[in-house]
Amino acid sequence: MKRTPHIPMVAGIPDPILEGIASGWNVQDAVDIADGSVIEADVVIVGTGAGGGTTAEILAEAGLNVLMLEEGPLKSTNDFKMDEREAYRDLYQESAGRMSKDGSMSILQGRCVGGTTVINWTSSFHTPENTLNYWADEFKLEGASKEEMEPWFKRMEERLSISPWPVPPNPNNAVLSRGAEALGVDWHVIPRNVAGCWNLGYCGTGCPTNAKQSMLVTTIPGALKKNSGLIYSARAERLIIEGKKVLGVEVTALNGDYKPNGNSFSVKAPHVVMSCGGINGPALLLRSDAPDPKGRVGKRTFFHPVAFSFSQFEELIDPYYGAPQSIYSDHYQWLNVSGPAGYKLEATPLHPGLASVLFLGHGGRHYEDMGNLPNTNLLLALIRDGFHEDSPGANIELAHDGSPIIDYPVNDYLWDGFQRAMISMAEIQFAAGAKKVRPSHLDAPWYESVEEAREGIMNLDNRSNSFTVGSAHVMGGLSMGEDLEKCVVDSNGKYHYLDNLYVIDGSVFPTSIGANPQLSVYGFACKFANQLAAKIKGTA
Amino acid sequence: MKTSRRGFLQLGAMGTAALTLGSGAAMLTGCAKQQTPAEGFKTLREVDVYFLGALAPAILTTKGYPGALGKDARQRLLEALDTTMTTLQGHALKQLQMAFDLMGSPVTRVAVGAPLHPWQEATVEEAEEFLVSWRESMLPIKRMGYAGLCKLVSICWYSQPENFEISGYPGPPKKIPFPYPAAGE
Repeated sequence: MKRTPHIPMVAGIPDPILEGIASGWNVQDAVDIADGSVIEADVVIVGTGAGGGTTAEILAEAGLNVLMLEEGPLKSTNDFKMDEREAYRDLYQESAGRMSKDGSMSILQGRCVGGTTVINWTSSFHTPENTLNYWADEFKLEGASKEEMEPWFKRMEERLSISPWPVPPNPNNAVLSRGAEALGVDWHVIPRNVAGCWNLGYCGTGCPTNAKQSMLVTTIPGALKKNSGLIYSARAERLIIEGKKVLGVEVTALNGDYKPNGNSFSVKAPHVVMSCGGINGPALLLRSDAPDPKGRVGKRTFFHPVAFSFSQFEELIDPYYGAPQSIYSDHYQWLNVSGPAGYKLEATPLHPGLASVLFLGHGGRHYEDMGNLPNTNLLLALIRDGFHEDSPGANIELAHDGSPIIDYPVNDYLWDGFQRAMISMAEIQFAAGAKKVRPSHLDAPWYESVEEAREGIMNLDNRSNSFTVGSAHVMGGLSMGEDLEKCVVDSNGKYHYLDNLYVIDGSVFPTSIGANPQLSVYGFACKFANQLAAKIKGTA
Repeated sequence: MKTSRRGFLQLGAMGTAALTLGSGAAMLTGCAKQQTPAEGFKTLREVDVYFLGALAPAILTTKGYPGALGKDARQRLLEALDTTMTTLQGHALKQLQMAFDLMGSPVTRVAVGAPLHPWQEATVEEAEEFLVSWRESMLPIKRMGYAGLCKLVSICWYSQPENFEISGYPGPPKKIPFPYPAAGE
């Protein structure tokens, strides 16, 4: 029987970017800028995601002429057709195929105007107090206690309409709350950055209704309305460094196939902000031979490596419809701070392209699993990495062409977290009424009881590329704090070894967050950008 | 070692693989292979078309292309793979093509455990045997190749709207873009 989506059509939604451009915003495609041009601004921001977007609006409102550079294309509401093919090609780093060096970890990261905020699943959490305390203790981060950060989170919660999702969870998320409730496992409703959300389920392919309060529909328009500019399809190749100053950025223009079109130009500004994330940011500094006396650039990059557990139900789950993430459990997250890895449990939306990757493998079994998609649930566990000496995170290196390589083997410490997380998820799924459960590991069969799952999971191997390690959270690589043995960015977001370079994004986090990181990025960006505005204007 | 990297696109590391496998074959035959796209494609070359075309039926079901696309299935998949590969940036694409080059010569094919005869003559059983040997390999690089190939082919296949019915996905809502007048009107 042919089924149809419960909401058959999305129409009548205006496109704020197209309207803004028609009204005269200063927005340019890099290929339209003459080769060899020099462009000037008060501040140049490299990257337009959670960090760059937030910073741009705050600096623009302070009266500064801000120029935003974005490597990815400019896509907006009218382009968002809920089509995985177009989304992965146009909105994700490396066509959604970004991976770690040994292929083990798949990294979903945005590459478009608005960055990952355009394609994330909207989950918004304060930085946990345990994490903030750990940063103060271990990295000498100053001014970032729970009390000191709270007002910044509040401001961004208001700016981006963040509040707990008031609608009942979709069946995929209800598996988590129902199973957790049955077991006495603590669970809560996820706060989301949405306004007037249609509960469609397509946050990952670009919100088709403008409900998601991504940078694309909030702070970037906010900055552009204040005489700031945006150049997209513009890859920051190198920082131009002279002594202790950054003079500007060398930029390569990219064509419609995301390849250099042969043109390059430079942007000069007295203040340079890097907001290009924990992978591309360190790579930009490495390409630029930025001063780094302790060799810390690109070290301690964290990803919340994700373990996945599928389950099958008699009833329909339709895991592709409805708000992708609305329930979480931190029950296993803070049993300790710096011992064996803790993890956060959430649900994973499953559209067929993504599902076909996460099911792992090939042939008859893969085909059969795909055929059961409507009755399939998928839970995930975000492993909290970076809080233990056996969890040093990834190193960012450069390939021959200067693009980043992410070196992050799954060691015994992480694998121990994976096994415990897979068991926790299986317990919850069976308690919620699942008929069978299978972790995303090539050797795992569909387990038909919780006992079978526990025993089977303990016997699985940590063999690279035999199980799915996901990540949608790129953090660290340019740690902040006053401990110069460990950190390259100070407690105000300034690069320790350059006078006018600021790093305002998730790359400054000295560990992973232990929660979906977007609100952590917004909060720290709001704090740093306000401090920077005051400093530039001489009021601080 | 800076040649090995990422991706379902990370198959390029197989350029390294051929060497690790103890054969100088990759060096001897060189990578001076044809770089021009095959007829009708922007990026896929003949060697890529034969290799991916031979593996895809084994990856998708072991019996062929599932779904209603019938005789158009192979072409549609190759077009989707071509689109994905076309948007890859320099290094990733070059690495992937180097890996596929290994599949174009008998010497390098055998060195990486593929059939001696060209991929366009391979049976689905041979493709299956090749996939399983890579999946079960002790060499991390072959397992990476296996995972990468399966992911690349699967995501390109199952994200095609004609194939939604295989997974029982009813599809997304229809999006009608807001009707702005075209520039100049």
